[in-house]
Amino acid sequence: MSEATIPVQAAAPPRLSEDLVAVGLGLGVFVLALLSLLGADALGWLVTTSVWTDPSTSLAPASKAYPSLGGVGSLVVTYLVLTAVLSASAYLLGDDIRRFAIAFSAVFAIAYASWFVGSWAHLAAVTPADQAKFGVSWSLKLTNEGGFIVALLAGLVIANLLPAFADRLKSAVRPELYIKIAIVILGAFIAVTMASKLTLASSLMLRGLAAIVEAYLIYWPIVYLIARKGFGFSRELSAPLASGVSICGVAAAIATGGAIRARPQVPVLVSSLVVVFAVIEVLILPVIAQTFMSQEPLVAAAWMGLAVKTDGAALAAGGIAQSLVQAKAAAEGIAYQPGWMLAVTATVKVFIDVFIGVWAFILAYIWTNHINPRVGAPKARLVEIWERFPKFILGFAATFLLALALALGTTAGSSGKLAAAIGEANVLRVIFFVLTFFSIGVMSNFRQLWQDGFGKLAALYMVSLFGFVVWVGFVISWLFFAGVKPPLAS
Amino acid sequence: MPKPDLREATGAPEPLLPIEKKLIGWSLGAGLALLALLVIINRFIPLN
Repeated sequence: MSEATIPVQAAAPPRLSEDLVAVGLGLGVFVLALLSLLGADALGWLVTTSVWTDPSTSLAPASKAYPSLGGVGSLVVTYLVLTAVLSASAYLLGDDIRRFAIAFSAVFAIAYASWFVGSWAHLAAVTPADQAKFGVSWSLKLTNEGGFIVALLAGLVIANLLPAFADRLKSAVRPELYIKIAIVILGAFIAVTMASKLTLASSLMLRGLAAIVEAYLIYWPIVYLIARKGFGFSRELSAPLASGVSICGVAAAIATGGAIRARPQVPVLVSSLVVVFAVIEVLILPVIAQTFMSQEPLVAAAWMGLAVKTDGAALAAGGIAQSLVQAKAAAEGIAYQPGWMLAVTATVKVFIDVFIGVWAFILAYIWTNHINPRVGAPKARLVEIWERFPKFILGFAATFLLALALALGTTAGSSGKLAAAIGEANVLRVIFFVLTFFSIGVMSNFRQLWQDGFGKLAALYMVSLFGFVVWVGFVISWLFFAGVKPPLAS
Repeated sequence: MPKPDLREATGAPEPLLPIEKKLIGWSLGAGLALLALLVIINRFIPLN
């Protein structure tokens, strides 16, 4: 993913890029979380939702340091703080504060309500012991992360059945902003998770390198060839399409469109296709992973990172796959440490993202010098690599390295405090995930597929994605991750 | 933002230029070679 994003109707030119805003917010959350190591619980007021049969017992503050808030109080405070901070961010991104705040209020209400519904015991309880504890005779065993699916479905219903309402939410439907903030926070969570098993963690990261080769050097040329020779598409359409299907969806398509100097509408057109198909993948692939790969959780996790396009959807699929696969394992008496599957999906995706700037530069060089060498037109410049580099990855790397240094440098006694501190930050990460899921749903208007001329484009995307990308991704995930299991929960 | 005319983009086919063939060939060749190398490394340094 590069700095490019799907354009949102902005009231003014952005004062900061979305990536920098995401890095600022993510690092801010990380620093606030660390304050608890100094005795100041700065994030304990965040709302958490536990699995429930009696809704009045579900909500609670993240920390026992805020007992007077109660569940509803912590929900209200969480909403107010998020609305204020994100409205200020929207201002920096050139949006109208009032318009954003109103839209975000609706987005937060529906997204968090979806999360709450997903924690209902009939959806979330996993093991027979859980079912007995909650007094339920049946459950879909989705864990409380089934709330992600509820949020996605709620978004899809609004996008496809209530388009006028979806339009009014548009200002706060920013899946890329939300997922970038979540990824920056996720860096710290992954570090704390992996610190106890550093050898395994570094081995997994090394294997993530295969993802880069696969996305750029295998997927891209084949999809481009299919688009050009098989479907007869123009170069201007084929290159962003190949990047959209192969690399990281929306932002890759936009970065490639810019690199080859395509008309700005082309990558936007491709982006709408990417989002629709990403939603289909999020709904289907985790279920396939649970059905056929429950014995190989990390293969399933890497597969989500390789096969599902756009960062938000890939991490969404990784999150759902993690909950489904771990639920199935738990029902069979195997309790894996949480977080490892999501860490593998995130690693694979971030590795792929890192090289989008380099790839865009290579394409820019070829297009401006060989394919479309117009006299006087600007040539590819090396600085484009940096310009297109996804800056939010620097935030991810910063929280990862700082949290890892802290985890490795602390004693056994204080490592528990660090884990608790990052756990509070992770509550916000989950909320940003829910907002991402809901936003992806709201952006997925399936009626676009029936627009004039869109069928051939969709056909290429479907042939490439489900006929090739998904299965090659599975084979390569299997080659590199088969036989490796997440550590067991102690 | 007006959408591009898809009939134009999917209409008369543009021939595959030698540079495009080179891009496809080199990418795929390098990709397969690097992947084979990573598989071999993975065999020698297996995950544990």
